[in-house]
Amino acid sequence: MSAESANMPVIGKPVAPPGPFAAFWSAFAENKGAVIGMVVVLLIVFAGVFAPLLTPYDPLIQYRDAVKLPPVWVEGGMWSHPLGTDPLGRDMWARIIYGSRLSIFIGLSVMIVSTFIGIIIGLICAYRGGIFDVIVLRILDLIMAIPDLVLAIMIIAVIGPNLTNTIVAITIVFLPRYVRLVRSSAQVELTKDYVTAARVTGVRPLRLMLTSVLPNCLAPVIVQAALGVSDALLEAAGLGFLGLGAQPPAPEWGSMLADTKDLITSNPWVMAMPGIAILITVLAINLMGDGLRDALDPRLRRS
Amino acid sequence: MLRFLIKRLALTIPTFVALMFVTFMLLRLVPGDPIEVRRGERGISPERLAQLRHEMGLDQSVLKQFWDYAWAIFHGDFGTSIISKTPVTTEFFHLFPATVELSLCAGLFAVILGVPAGMFAAVKRGSVYDQALMTSALTGYSMPIFWWGLVLILFFSNMLHLTPVSGRIDLVKYYYPQPTGFLLIDSLLSGKPGAFADAARHLILPTIVLGTLPLAVIARMTRSSMLEVLEEDYVRTARAKGLSPFRVVSLHALRNALIPVVTAIGLQVSTLLAGAVQTETIFSWPGVGHWLIASINRRDYPALQGGIMLIAIIVILFNLAMDLLSGVINPRVRHER
Repeated sequence: MSAESANMPVIGKPVAPPGPFAAFWSAFAENKGAVIGMVVVLLIVFAGVFAPLLTPYDPLIQYRDAVKLPPVWVEGGMWSHPLGTDPLGRDMWARIIYGSRLSIFIGLSVMIVSTFIGIIIGLICAYRGGIFDVIVLRILDLIMAIPDLVLAIMIIAVIGPNLTNTIVAITIVFLPRYVRLVRSSAQVELTKDYVTAARVTGVRPLRLMLTSVLPNCLAPVIVQAALGVSDALLEAAGLGFLGLGAQPPAPEWGSMLADTKDLITSNPWVMAMPGIAILITVLAINLMGDGLRDALDPRLRRS
Repeated sequence: MLRFLIKRLALTIPTFVALMFVTFMLLRLVPGDPIEVRRGERGISPERLAQLRHEMGLDQSVLKQFWDYAWAIFHGDFGTSIISKTPVTTEFFHLFPATVELSLCAGLFAVILGVPAGMFAAVKRGSVYDQALMTSALTGYSMPIFWWGLVLILFFSNMLHLTPVSGRIDLVKYYYPQPTGFLLIDSLLSGKPGAFADAARHLILPTIVLGTLPLAVIARMTRSSMLEVLEEDYVRTARAKGLSPFRVVSLHALRNALIPVVTAIGLQVSTLLAGAVQTETIFSWPGVGHWLIASINRRDYPALQGGIMLIAIIVILFNLAMDLLSGVINPRVRHER
């Protein structure tokens, strides 16, 4: 063998296939919108985590000498309050970035709790079937028969309006989608040969469901979970707007909007800011979620 | 078909019973004494409390109370508002036409714009138009509609003075009997000049606000469904035999592409009713959503209970009707397990 041929790439030499993460990333990065969405989401999370470093103001303190200040690009605005102040003299920039903490906290809490409960109930339904499955399905039907916001309002009426209860209410409202998704994917997996093989070798049910079936059901669940964050966030803001979510003076974007809706003529920018914050956050998460869906599970199309 | 019908009906019964149970529990679980909650009074004397408790059957067993509640519902008694002292059904169905009118307009708005937009995006896949349309659709999908409403009011009402800020019609100018409750129809029946135009002007902004989310959903759905259909062999055949591209898309492909879209439109009823709560609150639209929020703020729990029950029944019946309809149109649905 000559030295020359040793340096030549050998045709047919197996190239190591990209790892699962690399494969996912190259599919995800193809979608420009998704990458932009991810960057924006990271920026928002960053702003929430490092809020105290990004503003010298406390979101709850009222600066009485600077009430109803417009943002800096409007005549009369000051650099000391870049997005202006609200009618009580609280700094809008501080309220918006501290508000991102609340919104992201709500979105993530709802997502984590409902995914977790959804996976457990969904797997039990798929494995056990029978009467348990029927009862769970009927309860889910009931939850879905009541329009989401109306059901959330009803739950809030019973347990009272505050931040924790917002999370509880929205988790209950969104639970059916996770349970149904896990249940139907697990049912499909359970009919496959590898599950039968595992059963024959005597794998116990718990281990079978968690280590063999669940990983194969995860792709649609991850996609749903990502998009569920934005839905939860929007729902929480809607409840806040109706006065049934986080209570003032907490800088929650929805309740900030509710406080300022009467100022629409006199101070439109006070009303504009929280809405823009909600829109950008939700849009970014949805862009990212769409990219995740295309990368993880191209068959799953969301309307 | 009959078997399918019976099976589908039987499936709604447990949901309905569960619904009654949940709304029954609502009144028992809200904070405060159940009698005070129901009567809207505070500081009732112990003797009167005992008497009221007996009158309302609260000294009976829970099971008996639930039975009485269910019995009343089967006789059309959904409770009485503690504020107005009128039956909940009277209040609800007085306000319901306003919500239906708004939701219908919003639904039409979404379908009329959404289907062509989705078709166009699918045909021009990957083009600038497609990207612009789909970006708009995703923005619409992400829109906090309560804020969207305020923004539209700011521009069209406060700055341009084109549309009214709230309500359904200028009651001072155009007060007239409302036989149907649908103001677009009533205003025509009244024969007063300008009444219809005024009612329509009041409808524009709420329609856009409530229609935005369904519009985005329908446009995205139509596009993806259309893309799938355009790959089918029969579409290629139609193209190969020389039909004009417009004919292929609008006659051949659209028919099949619309099947999932029609299902999606049916599912929008729940979205529309949930959105109506927010939209009606912003525009002071006198419908059931606005009334529901007002009830909760007034602590009128019986009204809330009856209202939620009625809304859920309407959604259940609507979904049932849609299911039966799809069974009629598509025989395969009937024979699913």
